[in-house]
Amino acid sequence: MKFTAYGGVYLLLRRIPSQPKRIMKLVLLLTTVASLQLSASGWSQNVTIRLKNAPVEKAFSEMRRQTGFQFVYNTTVLQKAGKVNISLTDVPLEQALRTILSGTSLAYTIVDSSVVIRRVPVQNASEAPPVTAAQDNIGVKGVVKNSDGHPIPQVSVIVKGTRIGVSTDKDGAFEFKSISENATLVFSAVGFETKEIKVGSANETITVELQQAENKLADVVVTGYQNLDRKLFTGATTKLNAKDAQRNGIPDVSRMLEGQVAGVSVQNVSGTFGAAPKIRIRGATSLSGDNKPLWVVDGIILEDIVNISNEALSTGDANTLIGSSVAGLSPDDIESFTILKDAAATALYGARAMSGVIVVTTKKGRNTQGKANISYSGNFTTYLKPNYSQFDIMTSADQMSVMIEMENKGYLRPASVATPQNGGIFYKLYNQMYDYDAAAGTWALSNDQNLAGRNTFLQRYARANTDWFNVLFKNSLLQEHAISVTSGTDKFQNYFSSSFMHDNGQTSGDEVSRYTGNARTTIKISKKLTVEMLANASVRDQKAPGTLTRQSDPVYGAYSRSFDINPYSYSLNTSRLITPYDQNGDPEYFVMNWAPFNILNELQNNYLKLQMLDIKIQGGIKYKILPELQYSVDGAYRFAQTTRQHYIQSNSNMASAFRAYTNTSVIQDNTWLYNDPDNNNLPVVVLPDGGFFNIYENKISNYYFRNNLEYDKTFNVHKVNLFGSIEARATERQSYNFDGVGYNYENGGLVNTNYRYFKKSTEGGAPYFGMGKNWDRFLAYMFRAAYNYDNRYSFNFTSRMDGSNKMGKSRQARWLPTWNVSGAWDIDNEKFFRGGKIFSSARLRATYGLVGNIGNANNTAAVYYNRMSYRPYERETEPLTFISSLANTDLTWEKTKELNIGADLGFFNNNVNVTVDWYKRHIFDLISTIQTAGIGGEDSKTANNGLMEAHGFEFTISGSPLKSASPNGFRWRTQLNFAINKNRITRLEVAPRIWDLVKAEGGALEGYAQRGLFSIKFNGLNHDNGSPTYINEAGVKDNYIYFQSNDVDYLKYEGPTDPVFTGGFFNRVDYRNFSLSALVTFSTGNYIRLQPIFSASYDDLYSMSKIMKNRWIMPGDETRTNVPSILDQYKSSSFTRLSTGSVVSPIYAYNAYNYSDQRIAKGDFVRLKTVSLSYQLPQNLVNRLGLTAMQVSLVGNNIALLYSDKSLLGQDPEFFNNGGVAMPIPRQYTFSLKVGL
Amino acid sequence: MKDIRLLILTVSVISLGSCKKSFLEKEPDNRTEINTVEKVAQLLGTAYPHYGYLAMAEMYSDNACDKGPNVANTHTSTPYPEMYNWEVVSDNGNNTPIQYWNGVYEGIAAANQALESIEQYKLGAAANPYKGEALLARAYGHFMLVTFFAKAYVPGGPNDSPGIPYVLEPETVAIKKYTRGTVASVYKQIEKDIEDGLPLLTGGTWDVPAYHFTPAAAHAFASRFYLFKGEWQKVIDHANQVFPGGDFTGNIRNVVAETPPLSADEYQQWYNKGDKKFNLLLHETYSVYQRSSSYGRSRFGLGPTIYAGYYTKSSPAGTAFYNRAYISGTGNYLLYKFYEFFYYTNVNAGTGYPYIMLPLLTSDEALMNRAEAYARLAQPDKAIADCNLMASTRISGYTQASYGVTAAKSKAYFNVTDDQQAIILTVLDFKRRAFMTEGLRWFDILRNRIPVSHDYLDANGDVTYKELGPDDNRRMFQIPPAAQALSNLEPNPR
Repeated sequence: MKFTAYGGVYLLLRRIPSQPKRIMKLVLLLTTVASLQLSASGWSQNVTIRLKNAPVEKAFSEMRRQTGFQFVYNTTVLQKAGKVNISLTDVPLEQALRTILSGTSLAYTIVDSSVVIRRVPVQNASEAPPVTAAQDNIGVKGVVKNSDGHPIPQVSVIVKGTRIGVSTDKDGAFEFKSISENATLVFSAVGFETKEIKVGSANETITVELQQAENKLADVVVTGYQNLDRKLFTGATTKLNAKDAQRNGIPDVSRMLEGQVAGVSVQNVSGTFGAAPKIRIRGATSLSGDNKPLWVVDGIILEDIVNISNEALSTGDANTLIGSSVAGLSPDDIESFTILKDAAATALYGARAMSGVIVVTTKKGRNTQGKANISYSGNFTTYLKPNYSQFDIMTSADQMSVMIEMENKGYLRPASVATPQNGGIFYKLYNQMYDYDAAAGTWALSNDQNLAGRNTFLQRYARANTDWFNVLFKNSLLQEHAISVTSGTDKFQNYFSSSFMHDNGQTSGDEVSRYTGNARTTIKISKKLTVEMLANASVRDQKAPGTLTRQSDPVYGAYSRSFDINPYSYSLNTSRLITPYDQNGDPEYFVMNWAPFNILNELQNNYLKLQMLDIKIQGGIKYKILPELQYSVDGAYRFAQTTRQHYIQSNSNMASAFRAYTNTSVIQDNTWLYNDPDNNNLPVVVLPDGGFFNIYENKISNYYFRNNLEYDKTFNVHKVNLFGSIEARATERQSYNFDGVGYNYENGGLVNTNYRYFKKSTEGGAPYFGMGKNWDRFLAYMFRAAYNYDNRYSFNFTSRMDGSNKMGKSRQARWLPTWNVSGAWDIDNEKFFRGGKIFSSARLRATYGLVGNIGNANNTAAVYYNRMSYRPYERETEPLTFISSLANTDLTWEKTKELNIGADLGFFNNNVNVTVDWYKRHIFDLISTIQTAGIGGEDSKTANNGLMEAHGFEFTISGSPLKSASPNGFRWRTQLNFAINKNRITRLEVAPRIWDLVKAEGGALEGYAQRGLFSIKFNGLNHDNGSPTYINEAGVKDNYIYFQSNDVDYLKYEGPTDPVFTGGFFNRVDYRNFSLSALVTFSTGNYIRLQPIFSASYDDLYSMSKIMKNRWIMPGDETRTNVPSILDQYKSSSFTRLSTGSVVSPIYAYNAYNYSDQRIAKGDFVRLKTVSLSYQLPQNLVNRLGLTAMQVSLVGNNIALLYSDKSLLGQDPEFFNNGGVAMPIPRQYTFSLKVGL
Repeated sequence: MKDIRLLILTVSVISLGSCKKSFLEKEPDNRTEINTVEKVAQLLGTAYPHYGYLAMAEMYSDNACDKGPNVANTHTSTPYPEMYNWEVVSDNGNNTPIQYWNGVYEGIAAANQALESIEQYKLGAAANPYKGEALLARAYGHFMLVTFFAKAYVPGGPNDSPGIPYVLEPETVAIKKYTRGTVASVYKQIEKDIEDGLPLLTGGTWDVPAYHFTPAAAHAFASRFYLFKGEWQKVIDHANQVFPGGDFTGNIRNVVAETPPLSADEYQQWYNKGDKKFNLLLHETYSVYQRSSSYGRSRFGLGPTIYAGYYTKSSPAGTAFYNRAYISGTGNYLLYKFYEFFYYTNVNAGTGYPYIMLPLLTSDEALMNRAEAYARLAQPDKAIADCNLMASTRISGYTQASYGVTAAKSKAYFNVTDDQQAIILTVLDFKRRAFMTEGLRWFDILRNRIPVSHDYLDANGDVTYKELGPDDNRRMFQIPPAAQALSNLEPNPR
């Protein structure tokens, strides 16, 4: 074997003589292998050599074969040595060397087990050595480590330009007693990239870090199916090393992608742990589908536990907490991400790949000579509380003046606030005035003549200026601890890790812990057979404020969420007049939903507990049938279960609302009471006792199995790679929910239910429990052929056949073939390319192909569902089956044809790299809703009717413009990326409602972006009452908008809701032991709907924006302001419609203002995402502590919004404040510690 | 070695290849398949029109009038003014013809699917009652459509004007072309479905019979159908089979005996409850027609001209019918015959679906169908007896002596000389009164080619009139534009 290897080096040497550096590296590489065998065999150091007229190299190779010593030399030196004629029998090695080298200009040095051959310095002027022995010779010692800080043994360290070399010991240490002061050391080892370091002053101790070779950007593309030579791969991909994307203190790996990759947009619609960010790769591709990229972890597709579309991620509903499928991965276990962007890159994923693919590679074990490398990493993070200076909320004094105005306008009078659904201080004021203590003959609050009692009462609140952020938020501690152990020999390699994360929560309502465990073993059973086994598990325990699902109200144009107690929304929406504690320091209660309410009490008594268990076991076998033909099989099983328990305790507001039965007025209004159709008396209570214990459960079990056959061979200048695979996936999901009604938390868990609760739910068509299952099955056959000619021309062809059960038993559209062709031209390998110092490499790529998506319709056969009939009397109801959708035998998959042209350019010896990509997409057969004649029984159907065009441009420049040769010198790495993505719906035969288009998430309309944001056209304030007017759906000035109208011609198009231009700018400078990095992200081109804060009437609980100070107060103000008035009671009840003169509720007019062109902001922002400062402790100090490496870092995340639209008034441009469990991304600061043992 | 390689390849290819058929045939979710008798029965719960025709029928008929611009709190919201003017309603929202068209075909689709499943899964004799129900539901839907959207059937006439598409099988493509056929061909198919379906219903059982085509409901429907066809004996035969022995006594709405003590809510519910013998077929119907904001406060609708000028006035029996009405501001009348069941989708926001349990067929109608048929067949005594049964349940303090219907009283009331004509007019008058706001008047207008006159008041109270003659093309509601465009249906002439 050794000879073959050696011979191979020899051959290479002759073929490309212009690249001696590479040869040297290879020689060293192979000799290291050779030297490893020495210790194993312990051969004698005597040699027997008989050679006649042979090159001196022949003698060396023979000696090497017999002794196992490595020989280090420069071949050009040997050319002058001539031939040798020797005959030696069993002589010591050194004697043999002396014999052979006598009479030549060569000398030898033995360093450990290496023989370094060098030329003897000749003392004449023409051949003077570059440095004389006397000139400033210094001693250098140091340690060589990997990127985790673990020492690397057996690294060859050679003084550049000489034959002087040593190798590192088991602790990675090396030492040169005396080398030239200006020498450059070359470090190389198997599996690592070679590194050159210039040594500096005398007696220097240096620490050298070698990068693992597979990390090298240009070498290998990880597709999840194959690890391919980049020469053979022609698609558009970006690889992101975890080390570069690391954001200490951010436990969810999906956020590591922010701003790092051109064309990948990450929108943090919620910052709550477990809620996925809205990730888009090259923009949206479907009108009705999820538009989420596919996550592939270690070659296995990671299925989501619940399918939440990209848009639904922003609802704040409790199921968004399980929206991030990768939240169970520990960031410390990630090795790298590969983003597959164009059709050629994603072709192997066929019908799942229309929205791009993110391939995650986790860490694996390495050959450590059996030594255990242990790493610990700890992050300690604290959050900054939000504060009112960021927002535009009225102080309590301002708020009180508005309240007084409202009182003057006829609101907040005793009659109206006595029994309100929601009541604040005025409710309290009047009720105290009526609260008579007969025994003492006093009133709780005296309604005296000079209003002194009243004024004192109100003054306390006017002066309160409650800081809700202070009350509800904490500067809490988020801690993460991760330990990993890597060990291995050449036969087996292990990686074990475990992590623990605990976050006490940003607010008093949330808390989360996560435990992960990960084991990965690779065993080389024989040269042909390799087995790999993986197991990982994660457990999550999370607490969140209790929440119900958000509901849309298209009638008035509003969203609502019953009993929303999201601390962030509460802080922003609750008047600063309200106080959490009364004068005595006891919790102070106001009224919500006709029942007492205190937010602190509610957060304690109404909360969600989420528990999640996620286990994956995976195995792979690789068998080399022939050296160039490999058969492999991969299989995985994953099981995940989440249980969400909603604790609604007896004294929570939510449970109390079911029992709010104080007087006839409340009884008639309270919607949680039950109006029995069989009994025409007053409504009755259905929850007389206790609260709720509601359970929601989601389970997924996922099987994955794949057979692969790969052929890889190089014939002269032809490289061929053929890959075929058969894949099967089966996913079963189950969801389950149960209303545990009448649970007595305080009474030993007694369950006391009332039959009326069930009668009500039966009649209302709202079952008290439910269970659903679905099955997702895929079968696919794929084939990929790659060919490269002479390292210059590459061609790829990929085809895949996907089958799915989505269409049920119908055979129609079960299978979809996809294909792709692509090519690349490595111009730098052409003879005419004179790769200068400035322009050093160039590669052109082009791909064209078809990818598909199963789409959001499954009615190739008619689809039926069951429901209970909508009838008022229990004995008349019966289960019904209804046709949910008629059969559509023409139904097929959504498809995209994509053309991508890209180039990879290298400058300054490839120290600076530029990648550009341009693409154009024709997206067709999109599932959309169409109007029909209705005769078949369905007046609007889903069919493959939509068309969309998209195009984009991506640009990345990265590199190290400044790189000191000294190991501790100044180094600067920079990366700037940006991407433009534009799309337009070119056909969509559907009539959306006004409500669908004006809401914050936007809607789909032909001729506009995939999700366009539209506004009702504001047309000034009414002169008489300051209420807003619009151009209505008929194009007429009006103060009423029919939100459900399909006439949308008079809406104003603002722009897309997705950013058009996104990017990031990353910089890192290293100097001595310090490293400083910063990431700035930016995006522009999208529009944002401002929070809906205007209303026809306001109660005394809600906060108001400072904008309200500028509101219309008297006629004439409409020329000065566009902020609507507070309508007085009389004008509100006699509000007439401008266009018809009929009486209409002002709710329409005021709600429409929230969706008008007055309530729009641009989504542009520049954000300082991360700043990190690290310090690598000096080696001698680390060694004294008994460690091998230690690094401390200070990291700030989400530090500042450097630029955003002023009209956002503090609102985060990425965050949708929809209440529920949604929380913005906090500002946070992290202390991070990494230790190597 | 070679063998091992071969084995691996073979096993892997076969293991994946062989299971592919059943592997991908798993249904993706808990969807129902219609493959048993029980499931067919459950599907038929949705084989009836999901939307109602009340506004269409009432606003076109002479039950509507103009309240004028001076009545407070009226609205002129679509579709009421358009329908009062017999114009095309382009909106497809509540109470519009397009909505009704879609709702009826939705029911027909369920019926056709039920029929197909019975065939496909060979469900046999056990499925017979449901096959019968499906045929009747299909016939009912098409009958209602052809009545509203095509020219009225003329007994003995050619009836060769376009009908409406008669759908006999489930639609399986996104866009399908249909033809209208003729009124005659549609009637022929309706008759076939009725005649095929009726015998199959015998012995059927339903959990909630009031919401399904029971034999009684089917005979009531058949009596309506043959009334349109002018086959009088068949009308009588079918009406006689609604109740054993053809006896309607105690089986029709006894308004005077039962409703006076009822509260407003109870009164509304009384009309639409499934346990009332007079409700032969109910269906939960999405509707806002019952709200004061709809017909109640529409400027065009049940105004003083109809209410005070006819509804509360003396009938051919000699006195007014007992009735109840609620006045929503002066001049706006609501008869409170439909109880709204509001199905909440969001309790907090107060949003959901308004439903009424619409009586599609009542015994009162069947009785009156029989009365008219007797009159047409010159059996005046029997006709008068049926009218008297009706009168006894509508007139307070009814006695045969004081308020009994007689040919003489009717002749005097209508100022006609022919006995038969007088009795027929009495039947039609009784129906108009008894079924005010229930939509049945429009059917009698179509069937008997009664001209309709609509008044228009200006601010001064001056009146002008518009007429809708018996051959006016505007009697046909227009085919929905989508059906014209996408399925190539010819529009009705205007």
